[in-house]
Amino acid sequence: MGNKLIVANVLHRPIRTIVSVLAVAIEVTLVLMVVGLTSGLLNDAARRTQGIGADIMVQPRGASFFFGLTSAPMPIKIGDRLAQVPHVLAVTPVLFQSNATGGGIGVIAGIDMESWNRVSGGFFYLAGGPFEGPYDALVDDVYAKANHVKLGQTLNLLNQNFHVAGIVEHGKLSRLFIPLSTAQDLSSSHDKASIFFVKCTEPGYTDDVLDTFHRLLPDAQIYSIKQYMTLMSSSNLPELTYFVTAMIAIAVSIGLLVIFLSMYTTITERTREIGILKSLGASKRYILDIILREAGLLCVAGIVVGLLVSLLARKAFLTAFPTLVVEMTFGWGIKAAALALAGSLVGAFYPALRASQLDPVDALAYE
Amino acid sequence: MGGTTQVEPIILAQELKKVYRIGKVDVPALRGVDLVVQEGEFLAVVGPSGCGKSTLLHILGGLTGPTSGRVLVDGNDFCCMSDGDRTRFRRHKIGFVFQRFNLLPTLTAQDNIALAQSIQGNGYNPHRFDQVTEMLGIKNKLSHRPYELSGGEQQRVAIARAVICEPKILLADEPTGNLDTENSQLVLNMLRTLNRSLRQTVLMITHNPEAAAVCDRVVRMRDGRVVSS
Repeated sequence: MGNKLIVANVLHRPIRTIVSVLAVAIEVTLVLMVVGLTSGLLNDAARRTQGIGADIMVQPRGASFFFGLTSAPMPIKIGDRLAQVPHVLAVTPVLFQSNATGGGIGVIAGIDMESWNRVSGGFFYLAGGPFEGPYDALVDDVYAKANHVKLGQTLNLLNQNFHVAGIVEHGKLSRLFIPLSTAQDLSSSHDKASIFFVKCTEPGYTDDVLDTFHRLLPDAQIYSIKQYMTLMSSSNLPELTYFVTAMIAIAVSIGLLVIFLSMYTTITERTREIGILKSLGASKRYILDIILREAGLLCVAGIVVGLLVSLLARKAFLTAFPTLVVEMTFGWGIKAAALALAGSLVGAFYPALRASQLDPVDALAYE
Repeated sequence: MGGTTQVEPIILAQELKKVYRIGKVDVPALRGVDLVVQEGEFLAVVGPSGCGKSTLLHILGGLTGPTSGRVLVDGNDFCCMSDGDRTRFRRHKIGFVFQRFNLLPTLTAQDNIALAQSIQGNGYNPHRFDQVTEMLGIKNKLSHRPYELSGGEQQRVAIARAVICEPKILLADEPTGNLDTENSQLVLNMLRTLNRSLRQTVLMITHNPEAAAVCDRVVRMRDGRVVSS
């Protein structure tokens, strides 16, 4: 009977119900999209780094995990020295350049094709082939689809016109590749590299090679790719954690405040109804329970709508921005739902408490 | 040699006082009311507006506590009871009927009546439900919401809700105040039937002398006191 009363009340005020449900839905969507985008960004970068097939990466001290933000202070000769270490199969230098275009900022990887192929096993070409000239470029299929780039097309990168020599399968480091020497020329970083990727003769030798590298270059930032993968999480990037936490707090606040307002105005409208329930012998706990369950019902409806909207929003995002990765996991779906429910119950608690404490005589007389 | 057994009244009020504090002013609503009601009585309380009739009803129903005095309802001393205790008592022993019917607009007539059973916690009793709705002539109106019922029908639903849990006492606050003559008579007849056939104790507040006339006894109040009983 209590459930009937709750459902009847929810249906009796459709506008209030819709607004409350939408607020919770927005809250859930915001949480999932923010977490999805940030973790997608991180995980995609990590996967593409892992996709090279290297075992070790060597960067200058203080370099960012986000390669495009790293400058190029390491001499290329370091790579030659690293290649002489026992159990090292191949070393490939990479020079990163940030490319500002009308659509935003992208990262271009300047690679030495020969050493790159030895470390990574080479690209899988969906169209065309490797660089043939200094102003040839390779794009991955995701970039090509997102930007409607075709083989042979001219791309303006780093204020230069590049010829699209090949379209490669995505998943290796970057979406755009140009010859290392060209990247060095354009950035005046002659004989420099941002990072070295190292392939060992056997993966089992990775730790030994790491130890040797640390002795050779005590100031450099050297990780195995496995270590790098574990480090690429938002918990290891405090600024990102703060951002995500702040966005989640804002989202939960939206839901909490709307539910608070919704239930508060509902209590005011239904003061006499509460007096009637009290005249029938409803206890304070009964009144509190009814109000909180009503808020819970609105929240659950909002969670369901929010999850659906999140899936649609993700689809829309990926259609509009195919180079983005939005990761939505079951775990975060549960967390978003739990946050929404907790926020809603907290928001409804004060109105529920007020309602339970209403004087029945005053409530019955309320117009 | 025979002896008479003293029957405890179902309501016993002695020197009952109630003072409301409105702002900085104390307003005495009851100034020492003495009242005895026997089980099975149909009692009317009449008096001018502001004489304290509704306040007396609210205290007897446990909706508010007295400021001083003594009030025993079915042997329970309300003066010693907390709000929670009075609420529990009211749930099982008191039924209310109001002038404005006070049905929940979002529920059907059936659900309004069933709500009282749900709050009491004893669950749906179909036999009792059928008995009450049959007696009050609302069986064919159970699926209607309050706005689909006439005033008389709404009040009969309200009476059904008030008596469905077999309360010891039915408290009616101007039950015919919002009804026309015909429906008023209908409602009064229903209350009379409940009193006669189910031995329901009924205490009714009314301005209407014709309504008071159907009762066993009339108690007159003025200025917060009982002036004749």
